[in-house]
Amino acid sequence: MREVIVETSRVKSLLLEVAGWQGHLAGQHVDIRLTAEDGYQAQRSYSIASPPEDEFVTLTVERVENGEVSPYLVEELRSGDQFELRGPIGGYFVWTIAMGGPLCVVAGGSGIAPLMAMLRHRDWRNSRIPAVLLYSSRTLEDVIYRKELDAMARRDPDLQVVGTLTRKQPEEWTGYRRRIDTSMLADVCFPPDRTPKIYVCGPTLFVEDVSSFLVELGHDAIAIKTERFGPTGGPAQ
Amino acid sequence: MDVPPISRGFRSRRREQGLTDRIPPGQYVTTDFPVLSAGPTPQINLEEWTFALQLNGWVLGEWKWAEFQGLPQTTIKTDIHCVTKWSKLDTIWQGVSFDDLLKAVDLGEAPFPYIMAHCDGGYTTDVPAADLIGGKGMIATRYEGSPIPPAHGGPARLLVPHLYFWKSAKWVRRLRFMEQDEHGFWESFGYHNHGDPWKEQRYDGD
Amino acid sequence: MTENDLDFVLDGNAAAGALREVFIADMTTAHIQCDACGSVGALGSLRFYAAPMGVVLRCDNCAAILLRTVRTPHGCWLEMRGAHSLRFALA
Repeated sequence: MREVIVETSRVKSLLLEVAGWQGHLAGQHVDIRLTAEDGYQAQRSYSIASPPEDEFVTLTVERVENGEVSPYLVEELRSGDQFELRGPIGGYFVWTIAMGGPLCVVAGGSGIAPLMAMLRHRDWRNSRIPAVLLYSSRTLEDVIYRKELDAMARRDPDLQVVGTLTRKQPEEWTGYRRRIDTSMLADVCFPPDRTPKIYVCGPTLFVEDVSSFLVELGHDAIAIKTERFGPTGGPAQ
Repeated sequence: MDVPPISRGFRSRRREQGLTDRIPPGQYVTTDFPVLSAGPTPQINLEEWTFALQLNGWVLGEWKWAEFQGLPQTTIKTDIHCVTKWSKLDTIWQGVSFDDLLKAVDLGEAPFPYIMAHCDGGYTTDVPAADLIGGKGMIATRYEGSPIPPAHGGPARLLVPHLYFWKSAKWVRRLRFMEQDEHGFWESFGYHNHGDPWKEQRYDGD
Repeated sequence: MTENDLDFVLDGNAAAGALREVFIADMTTAHIQCDACGSVGALGSLRFYAAPMGVVLRCDNCAAILLRTVRTPHGCWLEMRGAHSLRFALA
């Protein structure tokens, strides 16, 4: 591990130098495996939050209460520590600028990680593909990458970043103040006749709700790609 | 085979706390109760729930929920062991023992030596009758004093704690006696047919 | 214990690592047709059950098992009886 970035009180990004890394596509994940001295092993998946253009592989990890692996990664892991990593994995939940747009990404909580890789990739390439992010978090303090997203949106007229805070909102908050629903998606997402590429990532219930709302609005189910996170905050338990 | 790198400072929460004679080989103690299912949790309506003992085409006995609750109840405290390596100690279950089910249909012993458990959602597992009699098996309806939550197999699951926990079939509806053994969902697909944790019979071929 | 076990259901993306040990190509983009109800979907979008005992992928429409795989020290098992077809691009 080369660097740690504190994103929120529960979330850190780990910048990793991976031996033999061949590169990846935005949206892919890695499987990591930890082995304790007594032989006990635990395996988890984490989405890669960095774009393919970055030097290091970034995993954004949320510390889960009573978690087995995330507290270790967030609190214990030090530069020089080793663990096994397999990847990059997954070709379904992937976006590259070559795939075109417009791009609509919908994130719930730590589901922002693979979508951030996509937005960072788009930003790195100075792409003009129209893109919108709808990001649902509980409170302002839980918004991961907030400063970076604000900066991206400010300098890029083709990127719109819209947030909703579902539990608590500061007075001056100008975003939405409720769970994502059909009317919010209708306002924020590109309409079906523009055939946007849609990616939804977050907890299972969130993903299933958002997908069905999008289908209700007339989007083709095939155009909506989903990734469900388990309670550990990555694609696999 | 390569030795995997040890992750310095990674300690499993599943520590063996000096209870080595209670923990089968390869297992780690947990205080959690992980959920593992081969399919979605069925939504079961107690008004429509029935449980049956079956022999070939014959239904030996069938109970609706209220009737089932009227059968003799047994409470046990036991350890459970999952093939995925977690063990949970001193779990308390209440339900109807297999012995009492046989008595309820006027049988002194199992008519055939093998049983297939059939469950809502299609899951199956095979168990020898010898592993259910003598208090070794029950149809459990309560866990730690409360109805078993749906994710953990409620309203009723088979409980055979001396075998790996995949045998304690969730959402059980029917026990079918078989003259010859047949393999259930996991037994026909890579996992050991018997599943004794003390002999570490995890996989077919162990 | 969780009240809502829907949070535990993951999808074929999470099974990708295990599937890579069985198939040469990345299977998450493969299209799989359910033999029971005929619906077609990308494998990465299917609901994934049974981890860590194995991979059970079920049809999003009718919940029939489309693909099942188990890895044991004695070898790997694969069945796809519930799938009418699997269409995938070679690497």
